[in-house]
Amino acid sequence: MLLEVAGLDLRYGATHAVKGVSLTVGEGEIVTVLGANGAGKSSLLKAIAGAEKPTGGTIQFNGRDITGRGASQRVRDGLVLVPEGRQIFVSLSVEENLLMGAYTRSGAEVARDAEEIFDRFPNLEARRHAPASVLSGGEQQMLAVGRALLARPKLMMLDEPSLGLSPIVVDQLFDLIAELNAQGLSILLVEQNTQMALEVASRGYVLELGALRAEGTAEELAADASLVEAYLGNAEDAA
Amino acid sequence: MLIVQQVLNGLMLGGIYVAVAVAFTLTIGILNFLNFTIPTLFMLAGMIGWSVSFYGLPFGMSEPLGWIPSLAIGILCAIVASLIVERFTYRYFKAKHGDATEHAIPLVSSLGFLLIFEYMILIAHGSDPRGFHTPFGDLNWRVAGLVISIPQVVGLIVSLAIVAGLSVLLARSKLGRALRATAEKPDTAVLMGVEVNRIVPIVFIMTGLLCGLAGALFAVNYGEVSPFMGEQVGTKAIAGMVLGGLGSVWGAVAGGLIVGLTETFSIYFFGATSAQVTIWGLLLVILLIRPKGLFGHNAIGKGKF
Repeated sequence: MLLEVAGLDLRYGATHAVKGVSLTVGEGEIVTVLGANGAGKSSLLKAIAGAEKPTGGTIQFNGRDITGRGASQRVRDGLVLVPEGRQIFVSLSVEENLLMGAYTRSGAEVARDAEEIFDRFPNLEARRHAPASVLSGGEQQMLAVGRALLARPKLMMLDEPSLGLSPIVVDQLFDLIAELNAQGLSILLVEQNTQMALEVASRGYVLELGALRAEGTAEELAADASLVEAYLGNAEDAA
Repeated sequence: MLIVQQVLNGLMLGGIYVAVAVAFTLTIGILNFLNFTIPTLFMLAGMIGWSVSFYGLPFGMSEPLGWIPSLAIGILCAIVASLIVERFTYRYFKAKHGDATEHAIPLVSSLGFLLIFEYMILIAHGSDPRGFHTPFGDLNWRVAGLVISIPQVVGLIVSLAIVAGLSVLLARSKLGRALRATAEKPDTAVLMGVEVNRIVPIVFIMTGLLCGLAGALFAVNYGEVSPFMGEQVGTKAIAGMVLGGLGSVWGAVAGGLIVGLTETFSIYFFGATSAQVTIWGLLLVILLIRPKGLFGHNAIGKGKF
């Protein structure tokens, strides 16, 4: 297994955001974590990325225990999070945003990798030196993914990437996710857009109020209508 | 000619304010922190520089040193003091209380350091101003009836060159990019692998360097230092920073020079005691017309430098 999370627990003060969650992501897999707003999905990803300190449990990545490693070391290890809301640096240019993704790397390869991203996303290339604030929502999401790719990840975690995007752009985004996966990138995808997520993923987990309620293959989860109704209250609007 | 002379004097004085105003604007712009220790770092460089040139290193480690090594030691002490302040004030930011204490604790702690450093120097050396002697205290260049002090011109150039260097560093280097990213979205910068605890001390080193340099320039240009030299310069530098626009490096440069000019002209026309009224009056008027300052952006914490 590339990523093995066991009994992960996260509390902020009185809030118990993640309650003993265990999950795995295999090499080359797309795994999705589903759940309604406030189910603890973002907190789970932040804890895996090292941005939040878990109050219990262990995280293994690429065969080593990374529970005590800092966020920066995890990026170097190849574990990268594309945060919710894209979090583009609007005071930086498009190119500078990409280069921030390569913060832990150095050398001539970085510039070459950046050119590859620009080839992949011509819209970004056209605005390369413009402030990132001029980009549309969809372009910002592509920039956020491109920025994460520049870290050369083994596992990319995406937190609600489809949020606030038009249906056409959401389709493009999921095509991109499938394409990156076909090129060998493992993906852990948090989504409220259940239908799209289950189409692209091989397995999934359902989170409710911080705890795991169900897990299975994408087909099993998609077939279980009661599950969707019980735990993904707003799945219909999201889809 | 007298007016031109006043302009020159004002620019030279402004050169001192520029370095201190840029130090203020960097910590506000990157860390959203009004660092009250800045005036005392300025004073430490001057007073420690004087002390080393007068007594030598403490505990009889050396004879009195020349003015250059003395001021270099003064600047070094300002940088070290700035790092101590980082360790004991700014790191409180890590404890996120989510309320006013988040900003108030570092601010009040830095005010505490201001007084502690100031009174430690007072205990050691008393409150009298001390003369600081350099070989070219009166080295002037006379052209067309104007008196131009060469150390002051050199000081202004050095001050502007350091600020220009800093602004290139911020705009072009990987470190500068990371600093700007951290200024805008610290939580996201962490996800890129930026180690905020390693990058924040760099801001404090820059602060110590700028203030130390300004303190040393002050000692050379005016030939006098005192434990209170930081207070007057500090408040005027804050005025300069706000005038130029919070978080804008070149705004702080313009603001510092404008304050220097305003002070010189105010003294020339209305007498020595008028300067504070004129400077702060001008500041309030400008803020009424242009609340974000001359070169400032609308929001603090977004799109600076």
